[in-house]
Amino acid sequence: MNIVTGKWSFYINGALIALLIVFCLYLFDDSLGMSDGMVVISQYCSTAVKDKAINPPPALDWQTGFLCGIFIGALAASIISGKWKIRFMQDSEGEGIAVTIGKSVIFGLGGGFLVMLGLQLAGDTFFGQWAAAIQMSSGGWIFLISSFGIATMVAILMERRKEGAKEGGDK
Amino acid sequence: MEPLALTGNYRMVAAIFVGIAFGFLLIKSDLAWRSTCLSALRLKDSRVLKTFLVSIAIGVTLFFFAEKSGLVHVHVRPAYFWASLIGGIICGTGISLCCRVPVTAIASLAAGRIYVIWVIMGMLLAYPCVNFMSGFLSKTIYTWSEPIKTEASVGSFFNLTNASLWVAGISLLLVLFLHFTLGSDSDEK
Repeated sequence: MNIVTGKWSFYINGALIALLIVFCLYLFDDSLGMSDGMVVISQYCSTAVKDKAINPPPALDWQTGFLCGIFIGALAASIISGKWKIRFMQDSEGEGIAVTIGKSVIFGLGGGFLVMLGLQLAGDTFFGQWAAAIQMSSGGWIFLISSFGIATMVAILMERRKEGAKEGGDK
Repeated sequence: MEPLALTGNYRMVAAIFVGIAFGFLLIKSDLAWRSTCLSALRLKDSRVLKTFLVSIAIGVTLFFFAEKSGLVHVHVRPAYFWASLIGGIICGTGISLCCRVPVTAIASLAAGRIYVIWVIMGMLLAYPCVNFMSGFLSKTIYTWSEPIKTEASVGSFFNLTNASLWVAGISLLLVLFLHFTLGSDSDEK
């Protein structure tokens, strides 16, 4: 396996993510997560829509810088790995193009809205909750276990419903 | 020893470099792809779950020793039982629909998955909604329980009353369990 272009083992990925989280706490001595960065971007967008003008960009704080870094790192990794592809809609699961586009928009908007609504209620982004769990925060654990439990349940139920509908159609 | 606690431009530059490393890792670990996330949620692919569990097992151990040596301090935002639980349920429902969280959405967009823009728009729309409801939330969900306190850590890692030891051990056992029960064959299409 080529270390640059190939997949990395989950042992390496897990260890590096853990190392990165602890290293971030050492470097920044601050709560991790991009909650503040996302708030800044959201407020900038709200103001731009309200004023109907593109205002000067907000001052960068470290969390916004972290978001920019993720974009650059993911762009570099996907190009190096040969996984950079332009896709305007999610993978089709046997549906027509109109349904796939519709699902991309509705599931994207609805899912994204619910994800951030839940994260805001809980008080931090998913990465922040992950870091909180590593710091043995009970709140982080409650959040991660409940979100994973519900996400798994809903995903399996949706898959079964789809399979049921398919079998019904075959009869 | 004390945390480095960078300030000013050094802090910004470090944040960008750490972000680059994290973005790189998100692609290499397949956490950024919809297909991998969906397979993990449908319990068909254990790769994402094993990455998460290994990070927890190593993370709690590293954090324990780093905190003991004074290299890091605990930095968690205030958490409330009901807010965390309800937030987790709502977020989990959202994840099952879009298969993304904020960091993976940004990584996917960078990898050319333009349709993720809808997910990011949905996320940005949630902020005004929470602001609008903040008065209601402050009087309800956030008052139903007291803030959760973070327990002080015990002296030795290999102590049966040390929660970090239990979490690390259970996570490693779950990794083994997943390794022998679930496959890990999904790939980004």
